[in-house]
Amino acid sequence: MKLEDATRYTAKCFNGEPASCSYACPFHLDIRSFLEKVSKGRWVPAYKVLRNAVNFPVLVSVLCDEPCRKHCQRTLLGDEALAMRDLEAACIKYAKNTKPELFAIPPKSERVAVIGAGVAGLACALNLAQKKYSVTVFEKESGWGGYLPNGENLSSHPRFADFDRDFALQFSAVDVEFRYGVEIKALEELAEFDAIYVATGKNGNSFGLLDSWDAELLTTSENKVFMGGTLCGVSKMEGIAQGIRASKIIEAFLQTGKASLMNVFVYDKKNCERYLKHDGAVSVPRVIVSSPEGYTEEEAKKEAARCLLCDCDYCIASCEMLQKFRKKPQKIAVEVATDMQVVGTLASRALTRQTYSCNICGHCKSVCPEDVDIGALLQFSRTARKNAGGESYPAAFHDFWLREMDFAVTEGFLAAAPQGKKTCEYAFFPGCQLGAFNPDYVLKSYEFLRSKYDCGILLNCCGAPAYWAGDESLLNENREKIWQAWNEMGQPTLVFACATCESIFNMFLPEIKRVSLYALLAEEEGLSPIRTYDEAVVFDPCNARNNHGLETGVRKLATKAGITLHELKEPNRCCGYGGHIRLANPSLYEEITQHRAEASDKPYIVYCVNCQDVFARRDKECSHILDLVFDLKKGLKVPTLEQKRANSLEVKKILMKKECGIDFEPETHEWDGLELLISDEIQKDMENKLISAADLKEAIWQAESSGYKFYNESEDLFMCSMIKPVITYWVQYRKTAPQTYEIVSAYCHRIHFKEEVKP
Amino acid sequence: MSTEGKNWKCAKCDKQLVLKNTNFFYLGHKFTYDVYNCPQCGKVLIPRELAEGRMAELEEALEDK
Ligand code: SF4
Ligand code: SF4
Ligand SMILES: [Zn+2]
Repeated sequence: MKLEDATRYTAKCFNGEPASCSYACPFHLDIRSFLEKVSKGRWVPAYKVLRNAVNFPVLVSVLCDEPCRKHCQRTLLGDEALAMRDLEAACIKYAKNTKPELFAIPPKSERVAVIGAGVAGLACALNLAQKKYSVTVFEKESGWGGYLPNGENLSSHPRFADFDRDFALQFSAVDVEFRYGVEIKALEELAEFDAIYVATGKNGNSFGLLDSWDAELLTTSENKVFMGGTLCGVSKMEGIAQGIRASKIIEAFLQTGKASLMNVFVYDKKNCERYLKHDGAVSVPRVIVSSPEGYTEEEAKKEAARCLLCDCDYCIASCEMLQKFRKKPQKIAVEVATDMQVVGTLASRALTRQTYSCNICGHCKSVCPEDVDIGALLQFSRTARKNAGGESYPAAFHDFWLREMDFAVTEGFLAAAPQGKKTCEYAFFPGCQLGAFNPDYVLKSYEFLRSKYDCGILLNCCGAPAYWAGDESLLNENREKIWQAWNEMGQPTLVFACATCESIFNMFLPEIKRVSLYALLAEEEGLSPIRTYDEAVVFDPCNARNNHGLETGVRKLATKAGITLHELKEPNRCCGYGGHIRLANPSLYEEITQHRAEASDKPYIVYCVNCQDVFARRDKECSHILDLVFDLKKGLKVPTLEQKRANSLEVKKILMKKECGIDFEPETHEWDGLELLISDEIQKDMENKLISAADLKEAIWQAESSGYKFYNESEDLFMCSMIKPVITYWVQYRKTAPQTYEIVSAYCHRIHFKEEVKP
Repeated sequence: MSTEGKNWKCAKCDKQLVLKNTNFFYLGHKFTYDVYNCPQCGKVLIPRELAEGRMAELEEALEDK
């Protein structure tokens, strides 16, 4: 994997980048950092930020026309932009130490000539001198500063004395030779110099090179001659900025013999339009300057504190997972790539836990101003890890669901057109969990569809477990299987009851026409859904995001039932189930499911059976929309893992009989007949650990028939283990009657041990 | 505690279990640990405290590596 394969997912993330105002600033001053320091009264550090960006802070604080203020995001709240110049002036005034830094670099032998001691030339000369180049400035007038935009000499400006003092201060720490009253008439006069910067001001002498001027590299057709400033038509402030840029380009030229931007940080000016939403930010009016002397310290601090410190962290701020791991999007992308370069088990993969902790819910993308989808990035990482395989692949995170999927696509599979037909116009694809949760959800829905449409049935898993595990080959295998069945059924339009199935089909089988069961139900005049609650909230699953037909269909049905509906503040948050994170990060899973359950104190109406499962387990009052439509809410308990499988087979049995006239005989096992006595408490614990009673039966049966088990005399207890490729299960039990066992404890682990069993 | 290995014996061999240095492996890492074992048939016993305590911690640490 190349670094770009991962970083392209987050390329547009601008977390940590300068704010919009800084992109508008000719100097790209880090305004956020400057204002943050000012707001705390940290005058000297603030001054340094300002001085290092603009070179001549006094002049800039007086003459800059503040293009930053047009891109101040305060204005989005209806406030006036931050008073930048007043704040700069205050900072200069209150900074106790403004002495320029001394640069401890050895002097360099290269000589640079600057023609023109206007601010553009001065800026270039100052920076090159700081880098210890030997700099000579030629100026035909008798002093520095150049001209004002009106053509008058800068020295005519009422604040010139201050500008002058500031120039002197800034040049006090460097050696620059100034030759005043010297007019360069031809560049040949400067043949001894290694580079020349022409900054002769508006209408100044360009030595015939203006036409060949390159606005980006500031080069001319003469190899060592560079040019910039108002001579080239830019403003005075831009001229200073250009002088600073020129110093960096000239430095590159002197180092490598070629002008380049290697020392220049390139800013995309367009980013000055990149704004955040600022939901919830409060309006604060501009602090008025109370005296002609400018802001007092307190006023300046207060004004600077109005800065919103615009820096995007929307995704991190609103996703529990991103918050838990506290990594910036760009950093996650880099780790996705570097993790895959790690080989062997000794080096570590930094991102494993996070990769498998993501709900792949799309919420981050929905809040990101640039549509960055971190879920897609981590999904990419899952796929890469699965493809890389090897011993270090954490199979245990997804093993449970992959086993469930395997069951659904083999024993649970059924594809049938309505009785007596080979093909059909529609086929119901309920998904593997709907019938597992409540057989009636599938049976009643199918009965409805069958009565209204030429509709068959397709029972299978959509492949979400393989997708979330990053298992492309399994996903493809399943895709082929569905594709074949769908073709054999005459390419019916599939009717979906699960938004996750729909989105998986949308991604991997887009050729298949889809319609939502709830949209069809909503269209049906004759239905009268039951009013389970007076008021409720529709909890839209993450995978229904942007699926408006689905969202409105469900609302229509609930409204028809007479329920007053309320909306959640944040729609389409993942209930916690997405991405199958529960085993990879149990505590995060708990946190997320709790947040979702508490997002409203009203009962929920859900239309994803996985959301329902999550909320029912948390004792959050909720109904499936099908409970309303078919009057099915009758105190149904969440079925156990074992019951779920039995329910799925039950659904298949009934539908197979109905459409194919065949009695379905599910696979049988020797241990099926065992009866387990499991207390509610232990059952709950098993469900949390995703241990199915069926696994315990198998383990006990094996132990009882082989004799390999342990015995605890004082407690009259047996214990045995069942080692599966990924998980090892343990069960402690007591035999209470023939074929009947009381379960005392059940647990599992992922670490394997080496056991050499002798007969 | 009832789940401690020393309270158990192998039902098949009717032998008291003994502590034995046993090889464990996970995600490509290998290590050894003393656990109860049947001295005759070699069956290993992992008590719940171990599975959900130290072993779970180690699983997590190795998954994060
Ligand atoms: S929402 Fe997240 S990914 Fe998008 S720009 Fe902001 S910080 Fe970056
Ligand atoms: S996809 Fe969902 S869980 Fe994953 S990072 Fe984005 S918001 Fe967070
Ligand atoms: Zn034994």
